[in-house]
Amino acid sequence: MEKNKKLISGVLCLVLAVAIIVTTSMNFLAVREVPYPMMGPSVSEVKMLSDWNPNLKDTNGDTPVYILKGEKEGGSMLILGGTHPNEPSGYMSATLFIENAVVEQGTVYVIPYVNHSAATHNDPGEGNLQYFTLTTKSGERTFRFGSRATNPIDQWPDPDVYVHYPSGQQLSGSETRNINRAYPGRPDGNLTENMAYGVMELIRNEDIDIGFDLHEASPEYPVINATVSHQVSMDIASVGCMNLLMGGIEMSLEQSPTNFHGLTHREWGDASDIRAAILMETANASQGRLRGATTIEQVLGGRDKCYTKSLELGFLYVPWEEVGHPIEERCGRHLEGIKQYSLAHNEVNPEEPIVYSGVPGYQELYLDATREELDGTHLAKFLM
Amino acid sequence: MKKFMALVLALVLALSLVACGGGAASSEAASEAAPAGELTGLTEAIFEAPILLTSGGQSADYQMIGTVMGKLEMDVEIKNLATSEDLGDAKTLIVVVGGSSKGLGAAGIDAEAELARMMELIDAAKAAGVKVIAMHTGGSARRGDLSDSFITPTFEKADYAIVVEAGDEDGLMAGICTANSIPCDMIASISDVTTVLPAAFVA
Repeated sequence: MEKNKKLISGVLCLVLAVAIIVTTSMNFLAVREVPYPMMGPSVSEVKMLSDWNPNLKDTNGDTPVYILKGEKEGGSMLILGGTHPNEPSGYMSATLFIENAVVEQGTVYVIPYVNHSAATHNDPGEGNLQYFTLTTKSGERTFRFGSRATNPIDQWPDPDVYVHYPSGQQLSGSETRNINRAYPGRPDGNLTENMAYGVMELIRNEDIDIGFDLHEASPEYPVINATVSHQVSMDIASVGCMNLLMGGIEMSLEQSPTNFHGLTHREWGDASDIRAAILMETANASQGRLRGATTIEQVLGGRDKCYTKSLELGFLYVPWEEVGHPIEERCGRHLEGIKQYSLAHNEVNPEEPIVYSGVPGYQELYLDATREELDGTHLAKFLM
Repeated sequence: MKKFMALVLALVLALSLVACGGGAASSEAASEAAPAGELTGLTEAIFEAPILLTSGGQSADYQMIGTVMGKLEMDVEIKNLATSEDLGDAKTLIVVVGGSSKGLGAAGIDAEAELARMMELIDAAKAAGVKVIAMHTGGSARRGDLSDSFITPTFEKADYAIVVEAGDEDGLMAGICTANSIPCDMIASISDVTTVLPAAFVA
């Protein structure tokens, strides 16, 4: 009898352990599924980054490249979301562009998750979310909330010191997995360097005229609500930034430092013939050091009581109101920025314009929304 | 008799103070336009082209102002690292003030050297009779220790100032202009530069 009891409890423990293992394994593997944008009206083709760097084929660093081709020949534009997949306004802006843009002239390449590997895990130590859901035109859709860096399952271990190729610049070892410190990359390097090399090859082979890299940063970071441009595009950036300011959007313009390597706004301009290399930053409370618990309201609604208190104490470099920085405002800024800088590009380079319509901007996404809708609800109306 | 003597002495003192005040005005424009203690805008066009435009702190604000001036077809030469040697035949020097660590890095100069460059240029301009316009158009994003270190010495020596008011909530620039009788136009947005700046120049 005693023996049977032990056997039964042993079997029960084993079944329970297997159930836990299966459930957590399924959850662990499901995180590797990245939900991609739907095919918008101008998407003519979806390629993979490995088409420009074959080393990425069958790796977690390979990622879809959406090609939106206009009826008329024109310039070419590249939009990167998901350089840091814990910065949702980047990949959500890319998704909004893909699902809404009607490209009339030129070609637009959009990579919603340029560091695909970083989109397949998150930073549990930060208490970060894994997913968020939005009710769109087609029903409920789930989006990933990823990490700043390449998944350690795909690239590990980090060295103590990261030495950037080819400059020799030294940074903290954890930056080895940050694609925005890896440009121009190299084909014989690690996975992150290969992803960066793939983007550079796309830029060089498709003769990209203007490129955007969409980011978010903590509200206390000094370079916020800002555009950073390579020196080759300061003429375009100046015109575009003036137009944004005249349209009531606070934006500061910074020229990319020549001695800080590995970033898009530096290396795209140095390592290719691109006409404009532009990075934009919005303010995201869920990235800040001053924030409270990471919640969906914080990620999408952009509100945080601790930031309201920090403002009172004078710790912030950006205007902060109780309404915070909702995803509608952050995506609105990025998409309005892309519009104004591409218009400035057309003004400076009239022979190769990029003309598109249908993409919601700051007015449609943010100013037209009611306060109750500023938590992703209004943004979802523009998703398929 | 004592009361009469005190009245005469007070009158003499008052007259001498008025005389001192007239001689201490920092510029022609200030004496015409801005009595001390009151912030007043520019009342008439007193500046002339050609113009040398430079940065004060290497933020990209000078490039945006240069873009505006280019669109307005103003006769301007843009040099972010201009020194006295670049003054040439310029009759007006515009310094767009705003500190940027990225901009300083891009220009390959540190804050100390930048301040020294600005002061050498401004002093040479004043000595050569070139009028100086100080501009701060970056709003609150261009305030803080770095920017403020460029603001005070530039604005103190200016003949005219244009400031986007969101950048002067603490009244630093308004205070300098008031104390030094410098005419100053506070504008709501950088887009207002398109009206106030051309209005400052003799057609």
